[in-house]
Amino acid sequence: MGIGEGTGFVLLALLGGALLTHGLERWVGPPERGPALPVSLSCGTVLPNADRWLFPAGPIVGFMGVLLGTVVLPFGPDLVARDLGIGVFYFIVVIDFVVLGVALTGWGANTPGAVESCYRIVAQLVAYVVPLGLAYVGAIMMAHSLSTTRIVEAQSGLWFIVLQPIGFALYVVSGLMQSYRHPFLEPFADGIGGGILSVVGGWSALLWRIALAGVLFLVAAMGAVLFLGGWSGPWLPPPVWMAVKTYALMALMLWLGRLARPLSTAEMLALSWRVLIPVGLANVLVVGILILLHVGPG
Amino acid sequence: MQVEGNDIEAAYSLVGLLVIIAAGLGLLAMALWRRPSRTIEAPPAWAQYRFGFLIYALIFLAFDMEMIFMYPWAVVFADLGIAAFVDMMVFIALLSAGIAYAWGMGGLEWE
Repeated sequence: MGIGEGTGFVLLALLGGALLTHGLERWVGPPERGPALPVSLSCGTVLPNADRWLFPAGPIVGFMGVLLGTVVLPFGPDLVARDLGIGVFYFIVVIDFVVLGVALTGWGANTPGAVESCYRIVAQLVAYVVPLGLAYVGAIMMAHSLSTTRIVEAQSGLWFIVLQPIGFALYVVSGLMQSYRHPFLEPFADGIGGGILSVVGGWSALLWRIALAGVLFLVAAMGAVLFLGGWSGPWLPPPVWMAVKTYALMALMLWLGRLARPLSTAEMLALSWRVLIPVGLANVLVVGILILLHVGPG
Repeated sequence: MQVEGNDIEAAYSLVGLLVIIAAGLGLLAMALWRRPSRTIEAPPAWAQYRFGFLIYALIFLAFDMEMIFMYPWAVVFADLGIAAFVDMMVFIALLSAGIAYAWGMGGLEWE
């Protein structure tokens, strides 16, 4: 894919994906909206105490994070903007720019709710990064590669969800935490007026809308790549399969998330370090034993 | 098509271009914004706060570094076989001991 085509493809995939995600979330209508809280796109905001540079930098950094993450998403054997050799590692790194963006906006806004949002999202990062990374490691071990297309091709025989059900469960829980959806929506909770969403408006609200819908889209799409065989499937063209799996996984995650009560940041940290990380380490050992027993792709 | 060797510039030039596009779109939107705005009156909130997850944050630093070592290991695991598995057993045992120690001394609590 040329650089012009690649740019167009990334923008189209992200905007289309985020729009569909937002539609799905509005249709599902969770008990507490969190990141999908309605914001005014037509009325800007003026904050007398805000930091001049940090506050407007936040939405740009957050939008950049999801835009860069879309680069390695494969929608077909050759339908990927760039198949980077370090694919999933790059993805894990750039998607966390969304956290940096929320932290910049929250701190820069200098209102109680927004600054609280900044504190909470940083603590949430400490909770989700390690279990999420451990869920990725199982798929990487079986695919012998960090490239997203190679990971999909390695699942041509059997999807990794069958071989690594523990890894998939771990991905669903830590993925919900990474996309700040119910029950992990503490940084955008109603109790602090939606956090940073209470101070954004106009252009920054639009960028945050794309970034926060985009992060759920990216998490679901990467879950489809890692565990559900990505674009592969019979009869239908590859991009359709990729979209079907992405939104099926997203619907499953949103539905499962609604079954639990909202967790506080302290409970998230305890859940992560006492349950998810030990389970993740055990999953790495289980996958290692499976590979030594020659289960899974060559 | 997997990216290797000489294609690195071609691969990452797109990433660089997208960074510029994101910044450009944001700055453009900010500069061209002419709609009405509402003023939000709220007390300033920059203050010291109680940092309740000190031990979590410290062991997070260690574990995040450990994840970086785990990725190259995971890629070559199947080719190295049992030796790589034993290596990682030792590594995971040490990490688990670290978590157990932090948990035992009461570190995995919101203070």
